[in-house]
Amino acid sequence: MLKKSRILVMVLIMVFVISSLSLAAYPEKPIKMLMGFSPGGGSDALAQLIEPFLQDILDTSFVNEYKPGATGAIAWTQLAYDTPNDGYTISVTNTPMLMTNYIMNEEIVYHIDMFDPIANIVTDPGIMVVPADSSFDTMEELMAYAEENPGEVTVGHSGVGGDDFFSMLILERETGLDFQLIPFTGDGPSWQAAMGGKIDASSNNVGITYPQVKEGNLKALAVYSEKRLDALPDVPTMKELGYNVVAGSSRGISGPKGMPEEAVNTLIAAVEEMAKDPEFQKAAADRAMNLDIKTGDEYWEYLQTQSEIYGEIWENVKDQYQN
Amino acid sequence: MIMDNILFGLTNVIQPFNLLLIALGTSIGLFVGSMPGLSATMAIAILLPLTFGLDPASGISMLASLYMGAMYGGSIAAILLKTPGTPAAAATIMDGYPMAQKGYPGKAFGISLTSSFIGGMISALVLLTIAPLLGKLALEFGPVELFAVAVLGMTIIGSLVRGSTVLGLLSGSIGLLLALIGMDPTTGTPRFTFGNMYLFSGIPFVVALIGLFSIPQAIHLIEQKSAMNSGEINPIEDKMLPTFKEFKKLIVTILRSSGIGVITGLIPGTGGDTACWFAYNEAKRWAKDKTGFGQGRPEGIASAEAANNAVVGGALIPTLTLGIPGSSSTAVLIGGLMVHGILPGPTLMTEHADVTYTLIWGLFFANIFMFIIGLMFTRATIYVTKIDNKVIAPLIVVLAVVGSFAINNSFFDVILMFIFGILGYFMNKIDMPTAPMVIGLILGHMFDTSLNQSLLMSRGSWMIFLRSPISAILLALALFSALQSTPLFGLIIKTFRKKVLNNN
Repeated sequence: MLKKSRILVMVLIMVFVISSLSLAAYPEKPIKMLMGFSPGGGSDALAQLIEPFLQDILDTSFVNEYKPGATGAIAWTQLAYDTPNDGYTISVTNTPMLMTNYIMNEEIVYHIDMFDPIANIVTDPGIMVVPADSSFDTMEELMAYAEENPGEVTVGHSGVGGDDFFSMLILERETGLDFQLIPFTGDGPSWQAAMGGKIDASSNNVGITYPQVKEGNLKALAVYSEKRLDALPDVPTMKELGYNVVAGSSRGISGPKGMPEEAVNTLIAAVEEMAKDPEFQKAAADRAMNLDIKTGDEYWEYLQTQSEIYGEIWENVKDQYQN
Repeated sequence: MIMDNILFGLTNVIQPFNLLLIALGTSIGLFVGSMPGLSATMAIAILLPLTFGLDPASGISMLASLYMGAMYGGSIAAILLKTPGTPAAAATIMDGYPMAQKGYPGKAFGISLTSSFIGGMISALVLLTIAPLLGKLALEFGPVELFAVAVLGMTIIGSLVRGSTVLGLLSGSIGLLLALIGMDPTTGTPRFTFGNMYLFSGIPFVVALIGLFSIPQAIHLIEQKSAMNSGEINPIEDKMLPTFKEFKKLIVTILRSSGIGVITGLIPGTGGDTACWFAYNEAKRWAKDKTGFGQGRPEGIASAEAANNAVVGGALIPTLTLGIPGSSSTAVLIGGLMVHGILPGPTLMTEHADVTYTLIWGLFFANIFMFIIGLMFTRATIYVTKIDNKVIAPLIVVLAVVGSFAINNSFFDVILMFIFGILGYFMNKIDMPTAPMVIGLILGHMFDTSLNQSLLMSRGSWMIFLRSPISAILLALALFSALQSTPLFGLIIKTFRKKVLNNN
């Protein structure tokens, strides 16, 4: 009897040791990084930034697979429905497109609940820029004018469903103002139209417009971040002005739902270790990427809140756009 | 700023790897150009996906070099086989073939190569000087002006057409309609997608292009058998380069034809196939002694070949500064830029100046390589003209499949490519040109987006298009070019002419 239970204990210990050994071995093969956008785009830039550091920490390599199309929805649908959740396929997840895709189109059937969020890496805050020779020097002036002339001020954004579009909807909701929103095909055409004086302002991203603001080609009126940015110390936040507008685009990594806990934890630990590396911080700064590390549950909550906010905003304005 | 960009382009292009790619592109161009039945447009479309992994500047320079190389390559088959390797070499046959028959094929190649080199160099020089000036205007082009550009581009579709205007316009309209597939740029609503997610971002332009230009070509090669290529080819034994004395006699013709080539290229919709005849006729007109044309006159070869290479630089001017393709080959180059996430249009000269200036400098080097490679390998290239169609046709199909898959790693795109291929085949059967469809696909996006943006900016007032001087002028030009192809215009000219005659 005693012998039997001893054997059982030994077997259990061995099973435990073997299983923990095999788990500790994660990752034992290259990890596939599924990308919803073309090489050279924002999500590719994020992958290029983090992969060299994660490769060293995890002692494995990354293989990028590009599946561009439908603003990332093709890759994310594949991640949700058609990817083994063994921890060897993860994807760069961009907000707000990750949610606005399915919020705005009922044909898109994935949902963030089908993912295991790993970590957010960078957030590029929104910014309001005007032409260098604009008569508006401060956000207050722009808003005062917009209040007297509702719907007259033309503001460019990067396209319906994109981050800048939703930033503007949040801004309109919080300030109660009415702007004439002009969609462009990307951030570039939007700020260029502002720089050429074709539109009154462009709601854009700090990382994208910073070189033009520094050169004096564009004037920055306000940023949509929690705190003032080191790079633009003179530009107030919308929060300072009394409006709760915190918006921008975030990029992180997520995997399919139900990945082994050890894989998730290993990846989170690797991201946290990477975040502390001064070399990584320098590499991010060199690429004008604003680090915003949120891991595990914190990232999950962030995505959930965003999904709710964007869903609610879209519900309110939907009829103006799609009918 | 402009000087910086020009210098940056030069330092970028002289990197060994980029030089290698340009040499490679030129060689492929020579090879493709010398094969009757393969066009430069098709070769660029098929090779486009291979440039994905490259830096955009290197990839595009390679494709432009291919375009340049093919322009000379086309003369090889024209001179030896009396079959133009590319449509742009059609006029070269007139004097090139007779000269070769008289026993001087080498001399014919030498004249062709020298004229191509000078024509190409002049056009690259014009591009380098004019493009930055136009580039300064980039910021003046907002949505309103881009709408006018798109309208002008669309009226030009008519002039692209060889043969039936109606079929050409129909093909262009189908292209415009196809451009509407996908997410509406102003509302985000998916249009004509049948709930298929793969169509949300629209029809991938390059996929349509590969299908339209390569599959019909492959089927055609199989259909026509290899009868044409079976003839005996005599090896070239005479000297290639013209003597200084011969060259001095030709230089005026070469310079004039280069000018004609640049201007013809500059006009959107007309390319090498028009320019070579234009230059050939002018050479004949200006010659003091008009005898011997069509029997192997050096001026005949020189004019056609200088003009078709000069077209390259000219055609790239509207392509790079406005995003309107100057010829069907540059339409494909635009596809190449789009694959790299670079939207064609005025920003090519500002935001993407690194790519643009590398490309312009790349053209200079492509010419130099064309000259060297042409001198060394023309004798070998003649055997290329003998390769069996049965080998080439399946190769084209394989490359087309690989290429269309590689764009989005999507099998859906391969099926789409074949659909466009079969469509293109039947379009060829009824003599409906495919190029206007491609232009329609490109301009459709621009048209749709800029019209919506402009009307949002003016809150519904169409007058906004007449308030901007640039847009008003472009729209007037468009109206003129549309009227010009209607019977009404001919009537006006007729009555006007009568009046003048009566007054005399």
